[in-house]
Amino acid sequence: MVNVQNVTFSYTKKTELLSNLSIKLEAGRIHGLLGKNGEGKSTLLKLISGLDFPQVGSIETLGFNPVKRYPEMLQEIFFLPEELPQLTLSIENYEKVYAPFYPNFSTVQFNEYLKEFDIDNKKSMLNKLSNGQKKKVFVAFGLATNTKLLLMDEPTNGLDIPSKGQFRRMVASTIDDNRCLIISTHQVHDLDSLIDSIIVMEKHEIVFNQPIENITKKLLFRIADRNEKSDNVIYSEDTLRGLYQVSENKTGEESKLDIELLFNAILTEKNKIVKLF
Amino acid sequence: MNTTLNINRLGLLFQRFFIENKQAELTFWGISTVIFMVMRNVGSVEMFLYIAGFIFAARMFKVFNYTPGGMHYLLIPATHAEKLIVNIILSTIYYFIMIIITYIIGTIIGTFLGNIIFGWQNPINFQLFNDSISNSWNNQSYQHNGILEIFMTFALIQSIFMLGSIYFKGNAIGKTFLTFIALSLTLGLLEMILFRFTFGSFHLDGHSFNLNLRTSEDLFPGFEIVGTIIKYSLIPFFWLVSYFRLTEKQV
Repeated sequence: MVNVQNVTFSYTKKTELLSNLSIKLEAGRIHGLLGKNGEGKSTLLKLISGLDFPQVGSIETLGFNPVKRYPEMLQEIFFLPEELPQLTLSIENYEKVYAPFYPNFSTVQFNEYLKEFDIDNKKSMLNKLSNGQKKKVFVAFGLATNTKLLLMDEPTNGLDIPSKGQFRRMVASTIDDNRCLIISTHQVHDLDSLIDSIIVMEKHEIVFNQPIENITKKLLFRIADRNEKSDNVIYSEDTLRGLYQVSENKTGEESKLDIELLFNAILTEKNKIVKLF
Repeated sequence: MNTTLNINRLGLLFQRFFIENKQAELTFWGISTVIFMVMRNVGSVEMFLYIAGFIFAARMFKVFNYTPGGMHYLLIPATHAEKLIVNIILSTIYYFIMIIITYIIGTIIGTFLGNIIFGWQNPINFQLFNDSISNSWNNQSYQHNGILEIFMTFALIQSIFMLGSIYFKGNAIGKTFLTFIALSLTLGLLEMILFRFTFGSFHLDGHSFNLNLRTSEDLFPGFEIVGTIIKYSLIPFFWLVSYFRLTEKQV
Protein backbone atom coordinates (compact mmCIF):
# COMPACT_ATOMS: atom_id res chain seq x y z
CA MET A 1 0.00 0.00 0.00
CA VAL A 2 2.81 2.42 0.94
CA ASN A 3 6.42 1.80 0.01
CA VAL A 4 9.04 4.33 1.07
CA GLN A 5 12.54 3.56 -0.20
CA ASN A 6 15.72 5.30 1.00
CA VAL A 7 14.07 8.67 1.35
CA THR A 8 16.01 11.70 2.44
CA PHE A 9 14.26 14.98 3.05
CA SER A 10 15.08 18.34 4.55
CA TYR A 11 13.38 21.71 4.71
CA THR A 12 16.71 23.52 4.91
CA LYS A 13 20.06 22.62 3.41
CA LYS A 14 21.74 22.43 6.82
CA THR A 15 19.61 19.87 8.63
CA GLU A 16 18.24 16.59 7.29
CA LEU A 17 14.81 15.83 8.70
CA LEU A 18 14.60 12.32 7.27
CA SER A 19 17.67 10.39 6.39
CA ASN A 20 17.72 7.32 4.11
CA LEU A 21 14.36 6.21 5.48
CA SER A 22 12.67 3.04 4.23
CA ILE A 23 9.37 1.50 5.28
CA LYS A 24 6.61 -0.68 3.84
CA LEU A 25 3.08 -0.42 5.15
CA GLU A 26 0.41 -3.02 4.41
CA ALA A 27 -3.36 -2.73 4.29
CA GLY A 28 -5.63 -4.16 6.96
CA ARG A 29 -3.66 -2.61 9.80
CA ILE A 30 -3.67 0.45 12.00
CA HIS A 31 -0.08 1.63 12.15
CA GLY A 32 0.94 3.78 15.08
CA LEU A 33 3.72 6.17 14.14
CA LEU A 34 5.39 7.14 17.38
CA GLY A 35 8.19 9.53 18.10
CA LYS A 36 9.17 12.59 20.04
CA ASN A 37 8.35 16.08 18.73
CA GLY A 38 10.34 17.11 15.68
CA GLU A 39 11.43 13.61 14.64
CA GLY A 40 9.75 13.92 11.25
CA LYS A 41 6.48 12.03 11.78
CA SER A 42 4.30 14.71 10.17
CA THR A 43 6.83 15.14 7.37
CA LEU A 44 6.68 11.42 6.62
CA LEU A 45 2.88 11.64 6.35
CA LYS A 46 3.22 14.65 4.04
CA LEU A 47 5.68 12.78 1.84
CA ILE A 48 3.37 9.76 1.63
CA SER A 49 0.45 11.96 0.58
CA GLY A 50 2.46 14.04 -1.92
CA LEU A 51 2.43 17.32 0.00
CA ASP A 52 6.23 17.29 0.16
CA PHE A 53 8.67 15.76 -2.32
CA PRO A 54 11.63 13.60 -1.31
CA GLN A 55 15.05 14.93 -2.28
CA VAL A 56 16.50 11.43 -2.51
CA GLY A 57 14.74 8.07 -2.78
CA SER A 58 11.29 7.08 -3.94
CA ILE A 59 7.80 6.67 -2.55
CA GLU A 60 4.90 4.63 -3.89
CA THR A 61 1.48 5.31 -2.44
CA LEU A 62 -1.40 3.08 -3.58
CA GLY A 63 0.65 2.26 -6.66
CA PHE A 64 1.16 5.93 -7.59
CA ASN A 65 4.03 8.35 -7.33
CA PRO A 66 2.58 10.77 -4.75
CA VAL A 67 4.55 13.70 -6.20
CA LYS A 68 2.19 13.69 -9.21
CA ARG A 69 -0.85 14.12 -6.95
CA TYR A 70 -3.13 12.28 -9.36
CA PRO A 71 -6.83 12.55 -8.44
CA GLU A 72 -7.10 8.74 -8.64
CA MET A 73 -4.65 8.60 -5.73
CA LEU A 74 -5.99 11.60 -3.82
CA GLN A 75 -9.56 10.29 -3.84
CA GLU A 76 -8.28 7.24 -1.96
CA ILE A 77 -6.36 9.25 0.65
CA PHE A 78 -7.69 11.28 3.53
CA PHE A 79 -5.18 13.27 5.56
CA LEU A 80 -6.26 14.65 8.90
CA PRO A 81 -3.62 17.27 9.76
CA GLU A 82 -2.75 18.30 13.30
CA GLU A 83 -3.77 21.87 12.52
CA LEU A 84 -7.04 22.14 10.68
CA PRO A 85 -7.81 24.58 7.84
CA GLN A 86 -9.88 27.69 8.49
CA LEU A 87 -13.03 27.28 6.45
CA THR A 88 -16.04 29.57 6.58
CA LEU A 89 -18.45 26.77 5.80
CA SER A 90 -21.17 24.96 7.66
CA ILE A 91 -20.68 21.22 8.27
CA GLU A 92 -23.51 20.62 5.82
CA ASN A 93 -21.84 22.67 3.11
CA TYR A 94 -18.45 21.12 3.80
CA GLU A 95 -20.01 17.74 3.11
CA LYS A 96 -21.77 19.12 0.02
CA VAL A 97 -18.52 20.56 -1.39
CA TYR A 98 -15.97 17.88 -0.54
CA ALA A 99 -17.87 14.58 -0.28
CA PRO A 100 -18.43 14.26 -4.08
CA PHE A 101 -14.64 14.15 -4.57
CA TYR A 102 -14.56 10.84 -2.68
CA PRO A 103 -16.41 8.09 -4.58
CA ASN A 104 -16.90 5.88 -1.50
CA PHE A 105 -18.11 8.60 0.82
CA SER A 106 -21.07 7.53 2.96
CA THR A 107 -23.43 10.20 4.29
CA VAL A 108 -25.04 7.62 6.57
CA GLN A 109 -21.69 6.88 8.19
CA PHE A 110 -20.84 10.59 8.44
CA ASN A 111 -24.12 11.29 10.25
CA GLU A 112 -23.58 8.32 12.56
CA TYR A 113 -20.08 9.45 13.50
CA LEU A 114 -21.24 13.02 14.10
CA LYS A 115 -24.02 11.70 16.30
CA GLU A 116 -21.57 9.59 18.26
CA PHE A 117 -19.46 12.71 18.80
CA ASP A 118 -22.59 14.59 19.97
CA ILE A 119 -22.56 16.99 17.04
CA ASP A 120 -26.21 17.33 16.16
CA ASN A 121 -26.40 20.52 14.16
CA LYS A 122 -24.91 20.21 10.68
CA LYS A 123 -25.70 23.87 10.06
CA SER A 124 -22.98 24.86 12.56
CA MET A 125 -20.20 26.87 10.98
CA LEU A 126 -16.79 25.19 11.07
CA ASN A 127 -15.02 28.46 11.92
CA LYS A 128 -17.30 28.93 14.95
CA LEU A 129 -16.58 25.49 16.41
CA SER A 130 -13.95 24.85 19.07
CA ASN A 131 -10.77 23.15 17.91
CA GLY A 132 -11.88 19.87 19.50
CA GLN A 133 -15.30 19.95 17.85
CA LYS A 134 -13.78 20.84 14.52
CA LYS A 135 -11.42 17.91 14.87
CA LYS A 136 -14.39 15.63 15.55
CA VAL A 137 -16.05 16.81 12.32
CA PHE A 138 -12.91 16.13 10.30
CA VAL A 139 -12.37 12.73 11.94
CA ALA A 140 -15.99 11.82 11.15
CA PHE A 141 -15.62 13.05 7.58
CA GLY A 142 -12.30 11.25 7.10
CA LEU A 143 -13.68 7.95 8.31
CA ALA A 144 -16.81 8.38 6.17
CA THR A 145 -14.74 8.89 3.00
CA ASN A 146 -13.87 5.18 3.16
CA THR A 147 -10.56 5.90 1.49
CA LYS A 148 -7.99 3.12 1.25
CA LEU A 149 -5.40 5.19 3.07
CA LEU A 150 -6.19 7.29 6.10
CA LEU A 151 -3.42 9.45 7.53
CA MET A 152 -3.99 11.05 10.91
CA ASP A 153 -1.53 13.45 12.47
CA GLU A 154 -2.02 13.78 16.22
CA PRO A 155 -5.76 13.06 15.89
CA THR A 156 -6.44 13.04 19.62
CA ASN A 157 -4.94 16.51 20.25
CA GLY A 158 -7.77 18.75 21.39
CA LEU A 159 -10.18 15.90 22.07
CA ASP A 160 -11.63 15.56 25.57
CA ILE A 161 -11.34 12.25 27.47
CA PRO A 162 -14.73 10.77 26.44
CA SER A 163 -14.09 11.78 22.82
CA LYS A 164 -10.76 9.94 22.82
CA GLY A 165 -12.61 6.75 23.71
CA GLN A 166 -15.23 7.41 21.02
CA PHE A 167 -12.44 8.07 18.54
CA ARG A 168 -10.77 4.74 19.33
CA ARG A 169 -14.06 2.85 18.95
CA MET A 170 -14.88 4.53 15.64
CA VAL A 171 -11.45 3.97 14.14
CA ALA A 172 -11.41 0.33 15.25
CA SER A 173 -14.81 -0.25 13.64
CA THR A 174 -13.78 1.14 10.24
CA ILE A 175 -10.65 -0.89 9.57
CA ASP A 176 -10.90 -3.73 7.09
CA ASP A 177 -8.51 -5.73 4.92
CA ASN A 178 -8.43 -3.08 2.18
CA ARG A 179 -7.82 -0.10 4.40
CA CYS A 180 -4.62 1.19 5.91
CA LEU A 181 -4.52 3.69 8.75
CA ILE A 182 -1.42 5.52 9.85
CA ILE A 183 -1.80 7.43 13.07
CA SER A 184 1.05 9.67 14.07
CA THR A 185 1.23 10.72 17.69
CA HIS A 186 3.49 11.52 20.59
CA GLN A 187 0.64 10.82 23.03
CA VAL A 188 1.15 7.06 23.00
CA HIS A 189 -1.47 6.37 25.70
CA ASP A 190 -4.25 7.56 23.39
CA LEU A 191 -3.58 4.70 20.99
CA ASP A 192 -3.73 1.96 23.60
CA SER A 193 -5.66 -1.06 22.33
CA LEU A 194 -6.18 0.58 18.95
CA ILE A 195 -3.09 0.10 16.85
CA ASP A 196 -1.85 -3.26 15.65
CA SER A 197 1.55 -2.23 14.36
CA ILE A 198 4.07 0.07 15.99
CA ILE A 199 6.57 2.25 14.16
CA VAL A 200 9.00 4.29 16.21
CA MET A 201 10.98 7.19 14.81
CA GLU A 202 14.09 8.42 16.52
CA LYS A 203 16.74 10.80 15.26
CA HIS A 204 14.94 11.10 11.90
CA GLU A 205 15.04 7.36 11.26
CA ILE A 206 12.69 4.46 11.75
CA VAL A 207 14.24 2.44 14.54
CA PHE A 208 11.40 0.01 15.16
CA ASN A 209 8.57 -1.36 13.01
CA GLN A 210 6.75 -4.44 14.27
CA PRO A 211 3.21 -5.82 14.48
CA ILE A 212 1.79 -6.11 18.00
CA GLU A 213 1.66 -9.93 17.85
CA ASN A 214 5.40 -10.05 17.22
CA ILE A 215 6.11 -7.61 20.02
CA THR A 216 4.16 -9.56 22.64
CA LYS A 217 5.76 -12.79 21.41
CA LYS A 218 9.27 -11.43 21.93
CA LEU A 219 8.74 -9.09 24.88
CA LEU A 220 7.09 -9.44 28.24
CA PHE A 221 5.41 -6.48 29.94
CA ARG A 222 4.79 -6.83 33.65
CA ILE A 223 4.67 -5.08 37.02
CA ALA A 224 7.29 -6.64 39.22
CA ASP A 225 8.11 -6.52 42.88
CA ARG A 226 10.84 -4.00 43.63
CA ASN A 227 12.96 -6.65 45.37
CA GLU A 228 12.59 -9.17 42.54
CA LYS A 229 15.65 -9.63 40.39
CA SER A 230 15.65 -10.93 36.85
CA ASP A 231 18.38 -11.22 34.24
CA ASN A 232 15.95 -10.86 31.34
CA VAL A 233 14.89 -7.30 32.15
CA ILE A 234 15.68 -4.88 29.36
CA TYR A 235 14.06 -1.77 30.73
CA SER A 236 12.21 -0.81 33.89
CA GLU A 237 10.36 2.19 35.26
CA ASP A 238 9.77 2.74 38.94
CA THR A 239 6.25 4.03 39.54
CA LEU A 240 3.86 4.30 42.51
CA ARG A 241 2.15 1.09 41.37
CA GLY A 242 5.37 -0.85 41.22
CA LEU A 243 8.23 -1.63 38.93
CA TYR A 244 7.09 -1.66 35.28
CA GLN A 245 9.37 -3.94 33.33
CA VAL A 246 10.03 -4.90 29.75
CA SER A 247 11.90 -8.16 29.51
CA GLU A 248 12.71 -10.76 26.92
CA ASN A 249 9.85 -13.23 26.62
CA LYS A 250 11.69 -16.55 26.87
CA THR A 251 8.77 -18.59 28.19
CA GLY A 252 6.15 -17.58 25.63
CA GLU A 253 4.04 -16.04 28.39
CA GLU A 254 1.26 -13.73 27.21
CA SER A 255 1.19 -10.13 28.40
CA LYS A 256 -0.64 -6.95 27.57
CA LEU A 257 1.41 -4.50 25.54
CA ASP A 258 2.12 -1.22 27.30
CA ILE A 259 2.85 1.16 24.43
CA GLU A 260 4.28 3.92 26.59
CA LEU A 261 6.62 1.49 28.32
CA LEU A 262 7.69 0.01 25.00
CA PHE A 263 8.26 3.46 23.54
CA ASN A 264 10.44 4.52 26.46
CA ALA A 265 12.26 1.20 26.33
CA ILE A 266 13.05 1.66 22.65
CA LEU A 267 14.35 5.17 23.21
CA THR A 268 16.53 4.03 26.10
CA GLU A 269 17.59 0.51 25.11
CA LYS A 270 17.19 0.62 21.36
CA ASN A 271 19.97 -1.85 20.51
CA LYS A 272 18.85 -4.50 22.99
CA ILE A 273 15.27 -4.41 21.73
CA VAL A 274 16.03 -4.22 18.02
CA LYS A 275 18.36 -7.23 18.37
CA LEU A 276 15.41 -9.37 19.50
CA PHE A 277 13.42 -8.83 16.29
CA MET B 1 -11.52 8.44 -15.60
CA ASN B 2 -9.57 11.15 -17.38
CA THR B 3 -6.42 11.95 -15.43
CA THR B 4 -5.89 15.42 -16.87
CA LEU B 5 -9.29 16.98 -17.33
CA ASN B 6 -12.62 15.82 -15.99
CA ILE B 7 -15.74 17.95 -16.44
CA ASN B 8 -17.32 16.57 -13.29
CA ARG B 9 -14.34 17.56 -11.17
CA LEU B 10 -14.23 21.00 -12.82
CA GLY B 11 -17.88 21.45 -11.86
CA LEU B 12 -17.13 20.40 -8.30
CA LEU B 13 -14.28 22.90 -8.08
CA PHE B 14 -16.56 25.70 -9.30
CA GLN B 15 -19.21 24.61 -6.82
CA ARG B 16 -16.56 24.68 -4.09
CA PHE B 17 -15.60 28.28 -4.96
CA PHE B 18 -19.15 29.58 -5.02
CA ILE B 19 -20.26 27.84 -1.83
CA GLU B 20 -17.14 28.87 0.10
CA ASN B 21 -17.23 32.48 -1.18
CA LYS B 22 -20.97 33.07 -1.57
CA GLN B 23 -21.16 35.85 1.00
CA ALA B 24 -18.02 37.66 -0.17
CA GLU B 25 -19.06 37.44 -3.83
CA LEU B 26 -22.57 38.76 -3.23
CA THR B 27 -21.19 41.63 -1.16
CA PHE B 28 -18.55 42.57 -3.70
CA TRP B 29 -20.86 42.52 -6.70
CA GLY B 30 -23.45 44.52 -4.75
CA ILE B 31 -20.82 47.17 -3.99
CA SER B 32 -19.69 47.16 -7.64
CA THR B 33 -23.23 47.82 -8.82
CA VAL B 34 -23.51 50.78 -6.44
CA ILE B 35 -20.13 52.12 -7.61
CA PHE B 36 -21.20 51.89 -11.28
CA MET B 37 -24.42 53.75 -10.44
CA VAL B 38 -22.35 56.85 -9.73
CA MET B 39 -19.14 56.14 -11.68
CA ARG B 40 -19.79 55.61 -15.38
CA ASN B 41 -16.83 57.39 -16.95
CA VAL B 42 -14.95 54.95 -19.18
CA GLY B 43 -11.54 55.68 -17.69
CA SER B 44 -12.79 55.18 -14.12
CA VAL B 45 -14.63 51.98 -15.04
CA GLU B 46 -11.51 50.60 -16.70
CA MET B 47 -9.40 51.57 -13.70
CA PHE B 48 -11.87 49.90 -11.33
CA LEU B 49 -11.87 46.76 -13.50
CA TYR B 50 -8.07 46.51 -13.50
CA ILE B 51 -7.44 47.38 -9.84
CA ALA B 52 -10.26 45.30 -8.30
CA GLY B 53 -9.40 42.59 -10.84
CA PHE B 54 -5.79 42.17 -9.88
CA ILE B 55 -6.68 42.20 -6.18
CA PHE B 56 -9.09 39.35 -6.94
CA ALA B 57 -6.50 37.48 -9.02
CA ALA B 58 -3.79 37.93 -6.41
CA ARG B 59 -6.06 36.18 -3.90
CA MET B 60 -6.82 33.17 -6.10
CA PHE B 61 -4.20 31.03 -4.34
CA LYS B 62 -4.31 32.75 -0.97
CA VAL B 63 -4.85 29.31 0.63
CA PHE B 64 -1.09 28.82 0.43
CA ASN B 65 -0.51 31.71 2.85
CA TYR B 66 -1.58 29.35 5.62
CA THR B 67 -0.04 25.85 5.65
CA PRO B 68 -3.16 23.86 6.72
CA GLY B 69 -5.15 25.68 4.03
CA GLY B 70 -2.53 24.83 1.41
CA MET B 71 -2.48 21.19 2.49
CA HIS B 72 -6.24 20.98 2.30
CA TYR B 73 -6.28 22.53 -1.17
CA LEU B 74 -3.51 20.35 -2.61
CA LEU B 75 -5.22 17.22 -1.34
CA ILE B 76 -8.51 17.96 -3.12
CA PRO B 77 -8.81 15.06 -5.59
CA ALA B 78 -8.49 17.06 -8.80
CA THR B 79 -5.57 17.57 -11.18
CA HIS B 80 -3.34 20.65 -11.06
CA ALA B 81 -4.63 21.56 -14.51
CA GLU B 82 -8.24 21.44 -13.32
CA LYS B 83 -7.49 23.58 -10.28
CA LEU B 84 -5.66 26.12 -12.45
CA ILE B 85 -8.30 26.19 -15.21
CA VAL B 86 -11.01 26.88 -12.65
CA ASN B 87 -8.99 29.76 -11.20
CA ILE B 88 -8.23 31.15 -14.68
CA ILE B 89 -11.91 31.06 -15.64
CA LEU B 90 -12.92 32.65 -12.34
CA SER B 91 -10.31 35.39 -12.31
CA THR B 92 -10.56 36.22 -16.01
CA ILE B 93 -13.84 35.30 -17.69
CA TYR B 94 -16.21 35.14 -14.71
CA TYR B 95 -14.80 38.31 -13.16
CA PHE B 96 -14.94 40.26 -16.43
CA ILE B 97 -18.49 39.15 -17.19
CA MET B 98 -19.61 40.06 -13.68
CA ILE B 99 -18.03 43.50 -14.00
CA ILE B 100 -19.87 44.01 -17.31
CA ILE B 101 -23.17 42.82 -15.80
CA THR B 102 -22.82 45.07 -12.72
CA TYR B 103 -21.74 47.94 -15.00
CA ILE B 104 -24.90 47.52 -17.12
CA ILE B 105 -27.16 47.22 -14.08
CA GLY B 106 -25.39 50.09 -12.28
CA THR B 107 -25.60 52.34 -15.36
CA ILE B 108 -29.32 51.62 -15.89
CA ILE B 109 -30.23 52.17 -12.24
CA GLY B 110 -27.89 55.17 -11.89
CA THR B 111 -29.28 56.91 -15.01
CA PHE B 112 -32.85 56.11 -14.02
CA LEU B 113 -32.41 57.42 -10.46
CA GLY B 114 -30.53 60.51 -11.71
CA ASN B 115 -33.37 61.32 -14.09
CA ILE B 116 -35.97 60.90 -11.36
CA ILE B 117 -34.16 62.69 -8.52
CA PHE B 118 -32.55 65.55 -10.46
CA GLY B 119 -35.10 65.83 -13.26
CA TRP B 120 -32.50 65.05 -15.93
CA GLN B 121 -33.40 63.46 -19.23
CA ASN B 122 -30.22 61.54 -19.81
CA PRO B 123 -30.44 58.52 -22.09
CA ILE B 124 -28.87 55.27 -20.93
CA ASN B 125 -25.37 55.35 -22.37
CA PHE B 126 -22.95 52.45 -22.02
CA GLN B 127 -19.74 54.35 -22.77
CA LEU B 128 -17.62 51.27 -22.17
CA PHE B 129 -19.04 49.63 -25.30
CA ASN B 130 -18.48 52.66 -27.56
CA ASP B 131 -15.17 52.87 -29.34
CA SER B 132 -15.51 56.64 -29.68
CA ILE B 133 -16.39 58.91 -26.77
CA SER B 134 -17.53 62.51 -27.20
CA ASN B 135 -16.63 64.94 -24.51
CA SER B 136 -19.54 67.25 -23.77
CA TRP B 137 -17.53 70.17 -22.34
CA ASN B 138 -15.13 70.67 -25.24
CA ASN B 139 -17.15 68.99 -28.00
CA GLN B 140 -14.22 66.78 -28.87
CA SER B 141 -14.39 63.08 -29.44
CA TYR B 142 -11.60 60.62 -28.81
CA GLN B 143 -10.96 56.94 -29.34
CA HIS B 144 -10.72 54.60 -26.41
CA ASN B 145 -9.83 50.92 -26.22
CA GLY B 146 -12.49 48.59 -27.60
CA ILE B 147 -14.04 46.05 -25.26
CA LEU B 148 -11.93 43.22 -26.72
CA GLU B 149 -8.72 45.12 -26.13
CA ILE B 150 -9.82 45.98 -22.59
CA PHE B 151 -10.48 42.30 -22.00
CA MET B 152 -7.09 41.25 -23.37
CA THR B 153 -5.24 43.82 -21.23
CA PHE B 154 -7.32 42.69 -18.26
CA ALA B 155 -6.50 39.02 -18.95
CA LEU B 156 -2.79 39.87 -19.10
CA ILE B 157 -2.89 41.70 -15.76
CA GLN B 158 -4.89 38.85 -14.20
CA SER B 159 -2.42 36.23 -15.44
CA ILE B 160 0.50 38.18 -13.91
CA PHE B 161 -1.18 38.58 -10.52
CA MET B 162 -2.44 35.00 -10.45
CA LEU B 163 1.13 33.83 -10.98
CA GLY B 164 2.15 36.21 -8.17
CA SER B 165 -0.47 34.70 -5.87
CA ILE B 166 0.92 31.20 -6.36
CA TYR B 167 4.56 32.26 -6.41
CA PHE B 168 4.66 34.40 -3.29
CA LYS B 169 3.63 33.35 0.18
CA GLY B 170 1.89 36.29 1.81
CA ASN B 171 1.27 39.82 0.50
CA ALA B 172 1.14 38.61 -3.10
CA ILE B 173 -0.17 41.96 -4.41
CA GLY B 174 2.74 43.99 -3.02
CA LYS B 175 5.37 41.45 -3.98
CA THR B 176 3.99 41.06 -7.52
CA PHE B 177 3.96 44.84 -7.90
CA LEU B 178 7.55 45.14 -6.70
CA THR B 179 8.67 42.34 -9.00
CA PHE B 180 6.87 43.99 -11.91
CA ILE B 181 8.52 47.34 -11.16
CA ALA B 182 11.94 45.70 -10.79
CA LEU B 183 11.47 43.92 -14.13
CA SER B 184 10.35 47.14 -15.83
CA LEU B 185 13.38 49.00 -14.45
CA THR B 186 15.70 46.25 -15.66
CA LEU B 187 14.15 46.30 -19.14
CA GLY B 188 14.31 50.13 -19.17
CA LEU B 189 17.98 50.00 -18.23
CA LEU B 190 18.61 47.40 -20.93
CA GLU B 191 16.85 49.66 -23.43
CA MET B 192 19.06 52.61 -22.42
CA ILE B 193 22.18 50.52 -22.83
CA LEU B 194 21.02 49.37 -26.28
CA PHE B 195 20.40 53.00 -27.24
CA ARG B 196 23.85 53.93 -25.99
CA PHE B 197 25.47 51.25 -28.11
CA THR B 198 23.29 51.87 -31.18
CA PHE B 199 23.16 55.68 -31.26
CA GLY B 200 26.04 56.68 -28.99
CA SER B 201 23.66 58.58 -26.66
CA PHE B 202 21.07 57.84 -23.99
CA HIS B 203 18.82 60.56 -25.39
CA LEU B 204 16.74 60.95 -28.53
CA ASP B 205 16.66 64.74 -28.15
CA GLY B 206 17.94 65.49 -31.65
CA HIS B 207 21.12 67.21 -30.53
CA SER B 208 23.47 64.52 -31.62
CA PHE B 209 21.32 63.08 -34.40
CA ASN B 210 17.97 63.68 -35.98
CA LEU B 211 15.46 60.92 -35.43
CA ASN B 212 12.20 61.76 -37.12
CA LEU B 213 10.06 58.77 -36.16
CA ARG B 214 6.32 59.23 -36.30
CA THR B 215 5.32 55.75 -35.28
CA SER B 216 7.15 52.64 -34.31
CA GLU B 217 6.08 51.24 -37.70
CA ASP B 218 8.67 53.60 -39.26
CA LEU B 219 11.42 51.92 -37.30
CA PHE B 220 10.35 48.40 -38.06
CA PRO B 221 7.42 47.47 -40.36
CA GLY B 222 5.04 45.12 -38.59
CA PHE B 223 6.24 46.37 -35.19
CA GLU B 224 2.70 46.90 -33.86
CA ILE B 225 1.53 43.44 -34.89
CA VAL B 226 4.59 41.76 -33.44
CA GLY B 227 4.17 43.78 -30.24
CA THR B 228 0.50 42.77 -29.94
CA ILE B 229 1.36 39.11 -30.55
CA ILE B 230 4.07 39.22 -27.87
CA LYS B 231 1.76 41.02 -25.46
CA TYR B 232 -1.08 38.51 -25.86
CA SER B 233 1.14 35.45 -25.90
CA LEU B 234 2.33 36.51 -22.46
CA ILE B 235 -1.10 35.52 -21.11
CA PRO B 236 -0.78 31.76 -21.82
CA PHE B 237 2.90 32.02 -20.89
CA PHE B 238 2.03 33.21 -17.37
CA TRP B 239 -0.70 30.55 -17.12
CA LEU B 240 1.84 27.89 -18.05
CA VAL B 241 4.34 29.15 -15.47
CA SER B 242 1.51 29.14 -12.88
CA TYR B 243 0.74 25.53 -13.81
CA PHE B 244 4.33 24.42 -13.28
CA ARG B 245 4.53 26.38 -10.07
CA LEU B 246 1.38 24.63 -8.82
CA THR B 247 2.67 21.17 -9.72
CA GLU B 248 5.85 21.74 -7.73
CA LYS B 249 4.14 23.41 -4.78
CA GLN B 250 5.06 21.87 -1.42
CA VAL B 251 3.60 22.79 1.95
